Amino acid sequence: MMVRRLPFSVFLGMYFRSFLLQASWNFERLQNLGFYYLMLPGLRSLYGDKLTVETCAQHSEYFNTHPYFAPLVAGTTLRIEQERRAGGETTVDAETYRMSVMAPFAAMGDAFFWGGVRPLAALVGLLIAIQGSLWAPFIFLMLFNLPHLVSRGGGLLLGYFLELRSIEMVQKCRLPDLAVRLKESTTILLGVLCAYLSFNGCEHQAISPVWGFVVLPVVLLFAWLAHKGFSSLFLVLLTTTSLLLLALMF
Amino acid sequence: MAVTQYMLVALVAMLAGLDRVAMGQFMISRPLVVAPLTGLVLGNPLLGLEVGMLLELLWLGRLPVGAAIPPDDTQVAVAATVLALSMEPVLGVGGMPLVILCVLAAIPLGKFGQVFDRLARSFNDRLAEDGHSHILAGEFHRAERLHLLGLASFAISSLATALVIVLIGGLALLGLAPLLIGAVRDAGLSLQYSLIIVGAAALLGTMNIQRSISLFTAAFSGTLLVLWLR
Repeated sequence: MMVRRLPFSVFLGMYFRSFLLQASWNFERLQNLGFYYLMLPGLRSLYGDKLTVETCAQHSEYFNTHPYFAPLVAGTTLRIEQERRAGGETTVDAETYRMSVMAPFAAMGDAFFWGGVRPLAALVGLLIAIQGSLWAPFIFLMLFNLPHLVSRGGGLLLGYFLELRSIEMVQKCRLPDLAVRLKESTTILLGVLCAYLSFNGCEHQAISPVWGFVVLPVVLLFAWLAHKGFSSLFLVLLTTTSLLLLALMF
Repeated sequence: MAVTQYMLVALVAMLAGLDRVAMGQFMISRPLVVAPLTGLVLGNPLLGLEVGMLLELLWLGRLPVGAAIPPDDTQVAVAATVLALSMEPVLGVGGMPLVILCVLAAIPLGKFGQVFDRLARSFNDRLAEDGHSHILAGEFHRAERLHLLGLASFAISSLATALVIVLIGGLALLGLAPLLIGAVRDAGLSLQYSLIIVGAAALLGTMNIQRSISLFTAAFSGTLLVLWLR
């Protein structure tokens, strides 16, 4: 159904509000007020003075998704709301749509952004930082925020203009597969980082770099311990105590 | 340090704390960013970068998913940088050994961040409930304001975490630094590198991908061989 396009300022308002989605994050309803806050410019543009309690209450129910995917959900929800307001038939109502997509988008966003993009960007930043360059934080922020900002802005527009087809579009991006590729790249960079530090350590101690290979089983053992649930704090204490004792003894 | 510098550090701690969950999530809160930023405010961004490097990977694998709250590495980074710069004249030592000691003193105190964060989120439970009631009463603007009020609880929790880490960490350093500084100096570079390598191992352990061990081993061995033979 053809509906009038909302003014650009509405999308701009929603885009900026998406950065405050989790301002009142809480254990009971998670991002509920945040989603209401995010939707308000759109709802006000649609309903004006006739904005009802029912409409607002519907958008302030329990909500939880990945914060970078929330604009996409909001865009589609707004479009469904607009079509309903115009009296057209919609395949699903806004609430059903929101409830059915928030969990899959949360899982996808967590794996892609938190599990994929962030560690890779941090590793690249760290490798630059080890050279003592203050560009490291900027490179890290740039690498991370490029997909982040595109996801928020693009998601909002995609959700509004493609409506339910936006789900198909996101599926076509194959984000879970991409997340695995990013994790593999991160693993390789972790290997490069550890080897570089081992080599530097050997050079500093004026011993053969072949001793650097000693670090490999230690890292793998610690990784196994971390995988088994041992905390980073425990691993830090274990390493530090051992090294300090060695330093005190020799 | 001047009072204005302390106030600016408090502002950095709050803004970076907000960036963790409540506002933006641009990753200004990552130690690699916030520590040099704190250092910049205090006049030594490179020292901040060193702190950030040591802390960046430690809790990177702990995902901020749903109600899971990882230890507050943001405030650990801020506080460790503050300690490293402010304790130098008090302890009479400086450089990397002091940075390592400050980081070691601050790391266990990151747990306080979890406690304060949980308190902030519990306070927000009331905001969410009140906000919903205002919406049902047709007071839409008040619900908006309550939502934004949540920022205050997160900001206060961040500042409280930073303060607690600086205070307890500072007291611990006063007692332990004279005993440990010699050993830390002797361990030197190996201790500095080992902290980064422990972080790398912790991250590797959370990767959950097939072939992670073989990929890591190949990358490690290949790089070390290339560096050795070049």
